[in-house]
Amino acid sequence: MVDKVSFSSVVVEGDKFTLEGFRGGGDDVVNEALILREQDRLLPIANIGRLMKRILPPNAKISKEAKETMQECVSEFISFVTGEASEKCQREKRKTVNGDDICLALSSLGFDDFVEPLMRYLARYRETESERSGGQNKSDSP
Amino acid sequence: MRQAGTYSGMLAVMSGKNVPHSLPLARIKKIMKKSGNDVKMISGEAPIVFSKACELFIEELTRRSWMMTLKGKRRTLHKDDVASAIAATDIFDFLVNLIDDNGREVEGGFGRRGEPTS
Repeated sequence: MVDKVSFSSVVVEGDKFTLEGFRGGGDDVVNEALILREQDRLLPIANIGRLMKRILPPNAKISKEAKETMQECVSEFISFVTGEASEKCQREKRKTVNGDDICLALSSLGFDDFVEPLMRYLARYRETESERSGGQNKSDSP
Repeated sequence: MRQAGTYSGMLAVMSGKNVPHSLPLARIKKIMKKSGNDVKMISGEAPIVFSKACELFIEELTRRSWMMTLKGKRRTLHKDDVASAIAATDIFDFLVNLIDDNGREVEGGFGRRGEPTS
């Protein structure tokens, strides 16, 4: 663990930043800890590739760049919808963003086609959860 | 008509057993928190709803991108096809910041990891 470090400048490259003129502690350890990693803000490319493949014809190919682009789009989608849901919660003085908030946000942002399958999915999840925990719902988390 | 394994898979997933979702819930939650909207608390079901919503989103964007691929008489889906699909679809307007008017990548948009934008 490093207590204090000093550095002279920060270099930003895309979604990573590194410290220049860095003193104190092991370079690699602190740099690694502070670099914003792609894997934190993107969903795994393998999962995304699989989902894309699922709806394309069997002989279709997907370029690596297209999958990377889709990664960026999905993260943007999550932020976008979360923002809308979060604003509504704040307006209504509620602290927790729940599944219904997500569904409502999707609807107001033009993704109403998603809402029906999602509500069904959410209803089945809640049913299963309440059966499992004997009617107690305690799934909020910070 | 139910496909074998689908429903039981979904039940196992929703009951919280250690069955993999299509998308990692912890990562989804991280992205939600980082969305910069001062998100305080997230219910347990929100990432689960999102994992399904993201599936639907990927399907929709992929489907539309593939239409662009076919227009170009190709069989490989390229990022330009994704860019074209975004430009052509109203609900994907929020993604327009990631591409420029000519459907090419802007700095800090889709270009990353030192790859040249084209």
